[in-house]
Amino acid sequence: MQTRLIQIAGITWTLVYAGIIVWIYATEPRSFKEVATNSQVAAGVYEINQEKFNNALALFRREQFRAARDEWSGADPAQKDPRTQFYIGYAFYREGWGRVYYDNALFKQGLEAVNRAIALAPNGTLVVDDPNLQMHSAAELKAELEQGTETGWKDVNPLKLFRQRK
Amino acid sequence: MKDHAEKNRALLHFIVLPTILLTAGLLGGLRIDGQTRQFVFIAPPLVTLVLAILLGSLFVRAGAIDLHRWLSIEQPMLINASHLLTLISLFFASAQAFNSVLPESGLLHWMFSFFFLWTLWINQFSNFDPRRLLRSLIILFGTAFVLKHLLVAALYDPQGGWLKAIASTLLQGVSIDVPRFAPITGYISFFALALYVGGLMLIAPVPAPPAEAAVNKLAVREGALSESSDQTSLE
Repeated sequence: MQTRLIQIAGITWTLVYAGIIVWIYATEPRSFKEVATNSQVAAGVYEINQEKFNNALALFRREQFRAARDEWSGADPAQKDPRTQFYIGYAFYREGWGRVYYDNALFKQGLEAVNRAIALAPNGTLVVDDPNLQMHSAAELKAELEQGTETGWKDVNPLKLFRQRK
Repeated sequence: MKDHAEKNRALLHFIVLPTILLTAGLLGGLRIDGQTRQFVFIAPPLVTLVLAILLGSLFVRAGAIDLHRWLSIEQPMLINASHLLTLISLFFASAQAFNSVLPESGLLHWMFSFFFLWTLWINQFSNFDPRRLLRSLIILFGTAFVLKHLLVAALYDPQGGWLKAIASTLLQGVSIDVPRFAPITGYISFFALALYVGGLMLIAPVPAPPAEAAVNKLAVREGALSESSDQTSLE
């Protein structure tokens, strides 16, 4: 009877351990900390670091966009929180926005972040109720970033000097 | 006393052995980036799966694994399932052991792969017993380990050295593209290979049947014998 129990335990353990190994190779964590974060995500108990999020928001409002993005990255290391990803995208937009031209590289990174936010949001719709922002939905932000990366005749329009940052 | 031996044998066979092989599989693809010190997991390339199949065939040919006794229709399903999982673990551990000693890319990757393929192919036609095969594998993996983690790593050592000076003179104009990993990668690879060889040592050509299965088998045989003796007495 005991041998049978050991056999069942062995089969179960082997399958679980093999599953863990496949999961590690699939998620490719870069550190033990990331292993822990990925485990939290897999277990459904992942939460962002609210303190870091608030710090980042304060930096964002002071227009320190790079520092804000770093803080938000630390608050959401697994990139699984749609709201944080939305703000990261917004920080890229605000930093990349220019009266004469847009910074293409920053806008592209912003687009990646906002796409992540949309993918993570339930039903793909994300609305952030923040009175300090002029764009509240991820769709609006995405459209603005996409327009910024496109090139065309409108780029030579002198009236664009009067446009406003959102 | 006999009970303890039975229990320990079962633990070793059904839990410890797959764990050792899977751990070798886990560590075989792990590298540490030379600059960022971050984990880099390298899934086994296709060539390592081919090498693992060749090695598996060598195990069977040399008698290191008697497949008919490992997987048999006469055995209980649970034992067969467990043995199948162990054999699958062995396959992936073999693939990852090769992955661990193969350079990741470039000319050296293909040179090492070719030499492994050649050696394993030639060995298919040689006479091996399990012990000789194990010794041969230790030498094969040991040589590849020394070449990759000592010689090739020394070539890319930023501090340089006599080996780097000789190689750069000999290989002037030849570009050997190898990613740079931290020295700890060599230790991880050594540990993975040690686990793999340890796992191979634990694999018995014929797995010892657990007491219950043996008793059941005996009972079936006795039943069959008594039936046949009844028939002969009736005749």
